[in-house]
Amino acid sequence: MPDLGELVGGVVRFLGDSLSASRLAVGVGPTLALLTVMLVLLYLLARPTARWRGRDLGRLQGVVRTMALAAESGGTASFSLGTAGVVRPAAAVDRLQTLAALPVLGHVASAAARGGVPLMVTANDAVAVELARAVLDEAFAATSTSERARRARAEHVGDGRASAAGRSLARPAGAGNTTHVLGGLSEEAPALLTGEVDGAATTTFGTATPAEAVWVLLLGQGAVIGPELYSAASAVLPATDERAAVFAVNRLIWVALALLAGGSLLRVLGIFDVAGFVLGRS
Amino acid sequence: MRRGIVPALVIGAGLVVLVDYLVVNPSVDVVGGYLLSYLIALAAAAGVAGGVEVVAAQVIHLRERRRDPTAAVATLVGFLLAVGAGFYPGSAGASDPAMRWIVAAMLLPLVASLFSLLFFFMLAAVSRGLRLRGRETTVIVAAAAAMLVLLLPLGGDVGRSLASAAGWTLDVPVGAVFRGLLIGVAIATSVAAARTLLTPAGEG
Repeated sequence: MPDLGELVGGVVRFLGDSLSASRLAVGVGPTLALLTVMLVLLYLLARPTARWRGRDLGRLQGVVRTMALAAESGGTASFSLGTAGVVRPAAAVDRLQTLAALPVLGHVASAAARGGVPLMVTANDAVAVELARAVLDEAFAATSTSERARRARAEHVGDGRASAAGRSLARPAGAGNTTHVLGGLSEEAPALLTGEVDGAATTTFGTATPAEAVWVLLLGQGAVIGPELYSAASAVLPATDERAAVFAVNRLIWVALALLAGGSLLRVLGIFDVAGFVLGRS
Repeated sequence: MRRGIVPALVIGAGLVVLVDYLVVNPSVDVVGGYLLSYLIALAAAAGVAGGVEVVAAQVIHLRERRRDPTAAVATLVGFLLAVGAGFYPGSAGASDPAMRWIVAAMLLPLVASLFSLLFFFMLAAVSRGLRLRGRETTVIVAAAAAMLVLLLPLGGDVGRSLASAAGWTLDVPVGAVFRGLLIGVAIATSVAAARTLLTPAGEG
């Protein structure tokens, strides 16, 4: 009959065998970089920072007033989650932007629910549509306006980037008096955004895709560019973890700047190739 | 109870996938492989549900006369054509010649026609940008005009100088701005991913 010592010995032997059969897949540098991100975020979540000075990114703080005006004038609101979706064959960096836009959708949906403004959310991915529906349900429940829930809809416009842009161009002018487009945008960004601005009184556009930033800047009254898309929710929501994420991003940007400056100096002096180490090339 | 189980599942699955990405280990590979298979199955099911939903939405539009009926009929006909080409008896699925014809002769020209409007979209965007924020748009348009001049297909010393200046502009100032944005986006993306793992039931 095995005793406790034998059992512990077996577990330790199993762990030892498992560890000895393991190796790092992407090198020490990239592993440390990824773990640093987790540790910085965990530290800030465990000890929330009190000093918060937010900015009005993309005029999102004015959404409540905009919805009130839309309610008075009998207007409608629309929100597009971009063209990347969540499980579509798009780059992971683009798909994560769809998730980053969901808290902002929650804020817009809450304002629309309070004002009784009809809201149409569109996405070109079935999973993104389901997530949007969950956000809408939560917004109506949180504002105790469930009787108005039928005024908000999330619609799947068909798969493919062109379907989102085509649908946007084909819809009647002024279909969304208050229009938001936030998420991953690709080469169809000009078509999608041009369709969305048609007849819109107020527009907020945002993407973290650098190549499409110029369209957001030219066409949107409120523009959310690059990393700002991930901070946008913190500008309108008082959630601790939203703000901790922004603090973490800011701190990691300072770390990146220090690495760039220090790494360049070390490289010029011929001492060490920091970039190669971080990227796993050495 | 349920509120605690779902975040725990999300955190557990996320950490396994993260460890699978960082560490090469046969046991973790097996578990990570299973999780990815479930994800692919979920995405496939969502794709089918999405297709059904598109058809249902168009039928409702037609029945309740909410929108342009021509667009709804065109969508339904296109959907039926694609499904028919992929599922008729003896079809080779996505690689079937009928499906390839639909993509090459119908879908790609439609997408290309959308791109052919890019020049007009650009003019409309500049016009709107000048109305919204004149100073910034003027800077953007001036920079674009300068790049157009630098990229003119001229020969001789002038052409070489312009091409050299265009290369430097793209590599140094434009490259620096793009890399700066990409570094910021990469950091924000990794924090967003870590946050999704660590606080799946957050207040946000």
